[in-house]
Amino acid sequence: MLKTSTTDVVPEKNVQAKQRHGFRLTAKDKYFASIFLGPSILILGLFVFYPMFKTLYISMFLTNTLGKTTVYVGFQNYAKLITSPDFISSMWVTFIYVLAVTVLTIALGLLLANLSSQKLPGISIFRTLYSVTMGVSVAVAAIFWLFIFNPSTGFFALLSNWLNLPVVNWLTSPTNAMWAVIITTVWMHLGFTFLILLGAIESVPSTLYEAADVEGASPRYQFFHITIPMISPTLFFVSTITIIDAFKSFGLIDLITKGGPTNATNMLVYRIYKDAFYSGNYAKSSAEAIILTVIIAFFTLLQFKFLEKKVNY
Amino acid sequence: MSKYKKLVIPLIAVLGILLVAVFGHSLSVKSADNHNRIPIVFWHEMGGPSEDALEKVVDGFNKSQTKYKVIPKYQGTYDEAIQKILQTHNTSTSPAVFQAFDISTAQMLHSGYTTPVQNFIDEDNYDVSKISSVARAFYANKGKQQAMPFNTSQPVLYYNASLLKKYNITPPPVSPSYSDITRVAKELYEKSHHKVKGMTVQVYGWFLEQALANANAQLANNNDGHTGNPTKVSINNPDTVEFLEWIRENIKSGDFIDYGSGASAGANQTAGFLSDKVGIFIQSSASIGQLTKNNKNELGITYFPHPDNKKANGVAIGGAALWISNDKPKDVQRGAFEFIKYTLKPEVQAQWQKSTGYLALNKDSQKTSILKDLYAKNPESKVPGQQLATAKANYSNSGILMEGMQLTRQLEEIAMETVYNGGNIKKALDTADKNINDNLTQLNRANGYN
Repeated sequence: MLKTSTTDVVPEKNVQAKQRHGFRLTAKDKYFASIFLGPSILILGLFVFYPMFKTLYISMFLTNTLGKTTVYVGFQNYAKLITSPDFISSMWVTFIYVLAVTVLTIALGLLLANLSSQKLPGISIFRTLYSVTMGVSVAVAAIFWLFIFNPSTGFFALLSNWLNLPVVNWLTSPTNAMWAVIITTVWMHLGFTFLILLGAIESVPSTLYEAADVEGASPRYQFFHITIPMISPTLFFVSTITIIDAFKSFGLIDLITKGGPTNATNMLVYRIYKDAFYSGNYAKSSAEAIILTVIIAFFTLLQFKFLEKKVNY
Repeated sequence: MSKYKKLVIPLIAVLGILLVAVFGHSLSVKSADNHNRIPIVFWHEMGGPSEDALEKVVDGFNKSQTKYKVIPKYQGTYDEAIQKILQTHNTSTSPAVFQAFDISTAQMLHSGYTTPVQNFIDEDNYDVSKISSVARAFYANKGKQQAMPFNTSQPVLYYNASLLKKYNITPPPVSPSYSDITRVAKELYEKSHHKVKGMTVQVYGWFLEQALANANAQLANNNDGHTGNPTKVSINNPDTVEFLEWIRENIKSGDFIDYGSGASAGANQTAGFLSDKVGIFIQSSASIGQLTKNNKNELGITYFPHPDNKKANGVAIGGAALWISNDKPKDVQRGAFEFIKYTLKPEVQAQWQKSTGYLALNKDSQKTSILKDLYAKNPESKVPGQQLATAKANYSNSGILMEGMQLTRQLEEIAMETVYNGGNIKKALDTADKNINDNLTQLNRANGYN
């Protein structure tokens, strides 16, 4: 209603004038534009663009004990980071973590969602159980898993003592610590992923399956050729969310491993935090933040370019 | 829409209750107070049982006079608090008096954000001779007291005396060498048929620094920074190697259990010790409170171990000091100093030691009935204080007065973790050496020190 009335109000001449001169704005247009865009420009500028440019600025200096910029060094901070084996290993660790978390979360979520979409008596109990981790906060999850991983009194340690197996050092060996963090993160994300995927599977029209049954297609064929294509928009959404969440992982790392042992779980975000707020090296952490921004922008672009085309809307 | 209508009223009710709870609380706090008390905001980093003990100290001060009111605010870990203190300076949220840990001393000193407590000591002719000189020296610069030590600890070695008795193992001497500890750890592991691990040393840079101090070795040049700003660090030295080789030997014979680094490692090893899973561990004397309260076993305590062929040089103190910010009006700073004086009273320090395990800094505290009762009940709790008293202060055991110590610790811990996981000792230390020196050079350049 509103739409049509506004187009009616615009005089014919005005429209023609706009067409002739491209995007020239009248004073009235500018007035309305500033009213509508002003608040968001102000807020974005204050809370997004100013910090962003300030970060870029700081990253080209050295910062002193008080966190103030002192010596201009150009791109030296970046050069140092890119050539530092520590930072390179942090990048690898982050990629492995993001990949493992995304793949495992989606695979397990899909499995559970598919299982609990069966029409069986009592299935709603399982649906509730599988989605229960959605209500668990990061701190609670971390403490819960720390109890499980404790090498002398933890659940895993007691279990392997009981079975006379050697105790696994979950949090002190670099490879195991990585798994410990991945397991915990996947466990945390599973509830949400499961719920979203279950909703998508449930909304696939049953006529498609009925037709497939008539044709004699196997359940596996139905899953890969009906379910997966039909829920692909949801899969795309869930994978994007999980990747972004995994890149941003902070709480679990801080509470479980603090980036250790030997930097094995020192993801980029955690490294930025530690360099800034533990070591007080704001220049270094600003440079790291800029690098992370570029990486995430790159992946988002990639995802939209390639994955989106394959999605069946 | 009608679906949500049902929710609107409960939602408003919940919000209303929250609002009343939040504002009502702050209102009641304001009205209950005496109107003309000067508020002294005090930032600290004491968590758990120590926080309760600290709040009792603050309550005691607030009741002892009517002019000031100290408001304690917990700020998380020592590491995180430093940046908060530096970044909030000159704002309305900044504290009037704050607790900053040992290794941030150089940073605080150079920040220029604090008023040296020496100014107030001179004004009041306050007698500091009763306060432990080793602890005072740690926070003094060129004869001027910058901050006042408050919670001071010593790293000590704890062992499970009941377990040693059970398996007929001779306990370690009061000042043990590395091989004394290895012997006990191995015997415990073997005689318990591998049910009890012999020992652990938490991955903690502080312990590595203390091992150097106890071997009379220095980490940074210019006498660990006491005679000038450090320009070079040498962590790859024979004493670090010996310390790590000692741990490596125990890892190889299977009697060592690795709990990793950080606060969760500290909690895990305490849990392991209290549940008879590990017999020996090194920790701050501030853990005594926790270890005596929940322990069904008899607790044994010795000094920090020293290298086999060397006499113990004594370890540096740990813990934190109270600093006064210079961005607050005179009367607030004065109140902050009154509070500091109160915290150092003999009874306050004695009670503080009893409830936390931090050492009483006032010499008169030893004469109080609080500590006399404590020693009668737990003779072991005397040990950390004795270790502090027997050490003669020199440059090696007075801490490292260098900026960038937080990162230095992280790098030390990475080296330790590498070794614990089977890495080459020399190589791990070389990497640490290079990274620490890189950071130091850059920090000195950024600060314009050279």
